[in-house]
Amino acid sequence: MADFTLTSEPPLKGFDQGFGDTRLHAPADLAIVSIALPLGDEDAALKAIGSAFDADLPAPGLSVMGKDNTRLVRLGPDQAFAIFTRATPDAEPHVQTLLNGAAYTTDQTDVWTGLVLDGPLARTALERICPIDLHPDAFAEGAAARTVMEHLGVLILRTGPDAYLLLSASSSAGSFLHAVETSLLNVT
Amino acid sequence: MIIDHPLLGPRDAAEFVYLGDAALIDRPDWQADDAMEKFHSYGYLRDNPAGQHQELWYHEQGDRSWLVVTRNTLTHEITAVELARDVARKRGRGK
Amino acid sequence: MRQKSRIKGGLIDRSKEIKFRFNNKWFRGHPGDTLASALLANGQLLVGRSFKYHRPRGVFTDGSEEPNALVHLRDGAYQEPNTRATMVELFDGLNATSQNHRGSLDYDLLAVNDFFSPFLSAGFYYKTFMWPKAFWEKLYEPIIRSAAGLGRLSMKDDPDTYDKGFLHCDLLVIGAGPSGLMAALTAARAGARVILADEDFRPGGRLNSETLELGGMSGTDWVAQTAAELASMDNVRLMPRTTVYGAYDHGIYGALERCTDHLADGGGKPRQVLWRIYSRRAVLAAGATERPIAFGNNDRPGIMLASAVRSYANRYAATPGKHIAVFTNNDDGWRTAADLIAKGVEVPVVVDSRDKPAPIDLPGIRHVAGEAVMNTIGRKGVKSITLTNGQVIPVDALAVSGGWNPNVHLTCHQRGRPTWRDDLCAFVPGGDLPVGMAVAGSANGSMTLAAALAEGQAQATAQLDALGITAKATDLPQAEDEPREAAAFWHVNESKHRAWVDLQNDVTVKDIKLANTEGFRSVELLKRYTTMGMATDQGKTSNIAGLAILAEERGKTIPEVGTTIFRPPYTPVPIGALAGRARGKDFRPYRLTPSHKWAEENGASFVTVGNWLRAEWYTRPGEKGWRDSVDREALTARTSVGICDVTTLGKIDIQGKDAGAFLDKVYANTFSTLKVGRVRYGLMLREDGICYDDGTTARMGENHYVMTTTTANAVTVFRRLEFARQCLWPDMDVHLISTTDGWAQFAVAGPKSRDLLRKVIDADHDISNEAFPFMACGHVTVCGGTPARLFRISFSGEMAYEIAVPARYGNSMMAVLNEAGKEFDAAPYGTEALGVMRIEKGHCTGNELNGQTTAHNIGLGKMVSQKKECIGQVLAQRPELTREDAVRLVGFRPVDRDRKLIAGSHFLNKHAPADMEHDQGWMTSVAYSPNLGHHIGLGFIKSGHERMGEIVRAVSPVHGTEMEVEIVSAHFVDPEGERLRG
Repeated sequence: MADFTLTSEPPLKGFDQGFGDTRLHAPADLAIVSIALPLGDEDAALKAIGSAFDADLPAPGLSVMGKDNTRLVRLGPDQAFAIFTRATPDAEPHVQTLLNGAAYTTDQTDVWTGLVLDGPLARTALERICPIDLHPDAFAEGAAARTVMEHLGVLILRTGPDAYLLLSASSSAGSFLHAVETSLLNVT
Repeated sequence: MIIDHPLLGPRDAAEFVYLGDAALIDRPDWQADDAMEKFHSYGYLRDNPAGQHQELWYHEQGDRSWLVVTRNTLTHEITAVELARDVARKRGRGK
Repeated sequence: MRQKSRIKGGLIDRSKEIKFRFNNKWFRGHPGDTLASALLANGQLLVGRSFKYHRPRGVFTDGSEEPNALVHLRDGAYQEPNTRATMVELFDGLNATSQNHRGSLDYDLLAVNDFFSPFLSAGFYYKTFMWPKAFWEKLYEPIIRSAAGLGRLSMKDDPDTYDKGFLHCDLLVIGAGPSGLMAALTAARAGARVILADEDFRPGGRLNSETLELGGMSGTDWVAQTAAELASMDNVRLMPRTTVYGAYDHGIYGALERCTDHLADGGGKPRQVLWRIYSRRAVLAAGATERPIAFGNNDRPGIMLASAVRSYANRYAATPGKHIAVFTNNDDGWRTAADLIAKGVEVPVVVDSRDKPAPIDLPGIRHVAGEAVMNTIGRKGVKSITLTNGQVIPVDALAVSGGWNPNVHLTCHQRGRPTWRDDLCAFVPGGDLPVGMAVAGSANGSMTLAAALAEGQAQATAQLDALGITAKATDLPQAEDEPREAAAFWHVNESKHRAWVDLQNDVTVKDIKLANTEGFRSVELLKRYTTMGMATDQGKTSNIAGLAILAEERGKTIPEVGTTIFRPPYTPVPIGALAGRARGKDFRPYRLTPSHKWAEENGASFVTVGNWLRAEWYTRPGEKGWRDSVDREALTARTSVGICDVTTLGKIDIQGKDAGAFLDKVYANTFSTLKVGRVRYGLMLREDGICYDDGTTARMGENHYVMTTTTANAVTVFRRLEFARQCLWPDMDVHLISTTDGWAQFAVAGPKSRDLLRKVIDADHDISNEAFPFMACGHVTVCGGTPARLFRISFSGEMAYEIAVPARYGNSMMAVLNEAGKEFDAAPYGTEALGVMRIEKGHCTGNELNGQTTAHNIGLGKMVSQKKECIGQVLAQRPELTREDAVRLVGFRPVDRDRKLIAGSHFLNKHAPADMEHDQGWMTSVAYSPNLGHHIGLGFIKSGHERMGEIVRAVSPVHGTEMEVEIVSAHFVDPEGERLRG
């Protein structure tokens, strides 16, 4: 009955712009699955995560890179995100299969919209909107924080010396992009 | 203000939502004979001291944890920040 | 025009010339000038008119404490009022105009106020404009507003942009004078993260204005060397042109950086940035401000603070006159005489109120000891001064030194009180400093250069020590360490003429005495009654003299009288900077539904719901008004099929072994018994028993529920669920995460809804009534394999579904549903038609669940289970909330069917008077029902469920309307609910 086909149109699809040597772009096919550790069965869940991604879940506020370029982000005592690249809308069942029922999973792919900010101006631009201290001593590579920027909830991850992945709600993607873009324009 | 989150470190109070007296953790037994009276006190007769106070703050723009913050309401000095879940368990709450 | 008052030396770049305009006349200056110094260099002493009396005024200071030289800067929409000429860095093409005069600056028509001054004394508003009362708004206020006051707004939108930002440091150093530079250097060399902020564009503080030597080099060379070392370190952020204006809790400081104010063209970049600085520790090195002495006619242009005269001569190579007298009560004033003489400016006399020998040997100087200046002659400048011994001395300017006040302001921002030091005759920071702050240099009363340097280093070292960072003590540069004597000499008693204390607000010695006589004796009352210390300068030069005079009058000491409290901001912060970039459409974030683009392309009009923009209706060609569209949409859904984007409803994913038990606690009704693959309506109460929110929750798996909330409460319901999970029942295995934005969800409603969905949902999913009955839910795929969730729920009362697809497909899904619906004449519908249909069915929304109503009121009292524990169940049983004659939710229709109902109308029995005593309830929601052909309403009325068919009056005094309405069932359409189950 496939008379109709659906087109995938994530809100910032294809956005890619340079500001001097600094680049702001929306990564393609970013998949996000939340993982909740069952109360009382945390150890089993952590073990399953460890073997599924070949990396141990770090402490809250940190992330690690696991198998297949999957970034594991610990958001709280019992909650983590797995962030990876996947075009098809089956990120959650994919992770659930890997974990084999050891943790609760929820698809977060379409809840969020992502922007990668990479380059020498990245930190200077983020100073205009991000209340978190991004000095490398305070926010090293792999660090992750949920905070508020321009009234928007944002998950910020440091993915490189000058590179950050920012995630915010997909419904307010326009305001989110505006916030980051304006910051870049204001410091360029 | 800055709240030193026990897991995440110092965060601006702008990330948090304030609720009030941490006595809200001590929800009365619904089946007690004097449940009505107890719930009335629970809901309406909370403390609001000028001085040291245990308060509930919610890290809404953060990890979504509820915290018990011990704060001096006169000076804003914060002397302790705990996960409310731990406090609740210590106070005997379970399922 | 020639810079006739330009003298030798200075920190200006004479190789470049800058042209600027003042009152439409062209002048020239140099880089390094401020507007004030350039005006002085050009001999322009008169720069403005005073607040109340429109007296001619000139530049009085060299910094942010300036009370007089306030100008309109730039023009057109860019015009900024009350800009301190002493803080404006000169740039090419600068355009400034003087303010507060009618007619020209030279011939101000309102100068007549000066002759009426006997009527304009302290509190004159309160005394003069009392009667008749009606005159206030129509006559007095407009006149006062137009005559008084400072600059004027352009009344146009500010075309400049502003921004905000966040900075972090180990040590914030406020002030880049000698002690601030020393503190910053000490901390920077120890490897700490340092921010050094100063309101000036050039670091150095007073070192730029004095002729002092440090470590064998000139003060300015030492500044240059130190600043260069700091600039080379990547752990240091130098912030010139940045005023730290407020000290807030826990080491947070507010700072305003002026980024492009000094440029002719800002290049489109933000003009100013408002920083929030998170410091672990801070050193306040804000320096000190010289204070004047009050004597007769001490406000004329050309009369300036002695330290300012020194600054203009040494730093800016400009002089206010050729014959400058000095009037001082302390040793420091003599420096001005010495420096002026060194620059070749004549000093006809030094008048020292102290009867003692000159502290500096100035050959040939005329020194009048133990006397004072009691009057000045001149109008737009000074021609001569009259001393208390009767001598009249011709001069063209006068430098006044009354001693120094440490800038303690930021130490008081958390209600700390300064303490009085008799040896300085000044307040110094008290013990109760903001957390993490230490004070160094003259701000702390350490008035010599050597003491300032030593204290800067010591405070930085101690502050770092507290952070576990060790700073190495280095040799301090050699510097002067002569204590300077100050005297408590505030005003000249012998003066018969008006003696100004507060130049900005035109407050005289007499005004203060009068206020005291009239009983305004507390400093806080004195301030408000006389306006002393108000407006842009906040009394930086006037407060202490004012207090001293009040103390004298009351026979008390200054510390006994006390000070008014200092509050942020230290200097004015433009509203534009406080707004930052949050202007116009960027005032707050907006949220778009997944089908927004399709809706835009298909005639939708949008309504703001919280931050969301939702389609309210879709206009089709030929429709003349919104009602045409809404009626059509509602009829389409009832007769065929309508499609509505309902993504905005909150969706919370709930998983865990205890998920069902958890829902039993947060909902009034039971969810643990709900079967997998089924949906149930849930009602949530507040702990006080009042209805909070409602929605449907679907059980997708054994340990997996999906809750929906109302759009408005999505965030707060989530917060309350987390509270229940973490604080009330911490041992439940239950996990929450929002998926609101993740799923594009569409209501597909109407008798043809199933037929439509069959064209979209892949054929292997059986959605027949038998396989997928009312209140079923499940996973399906659509359009050839895209995962989707299907819910058989209905807000419209029709056979209806909600289908959810990953949000990225939402826009496309809306298009597909409408395309597939063409054969049924399907139509998209917006929030208005949705509202019409829910009122036709008697469903509640926020209008009914308004924070005052209970389950009992809305007819769902039985839903509140008493068999299990849940939030709100105990207090919901309070007698007053469960009264038999409580208001109940029912329907209403106008007796005259042509009449339009009005929401908010109150119900009254037929012949009862229209007052609260006889109030029977109120109308919550109204709509025109296209299905019934007349208006219908929902509302609460006492014992409504027992009063079907009764006629009551709906009265709205606000609208001036009254009409008869009939009480009917709230279920206007399909009361048996047969359509839903079809």
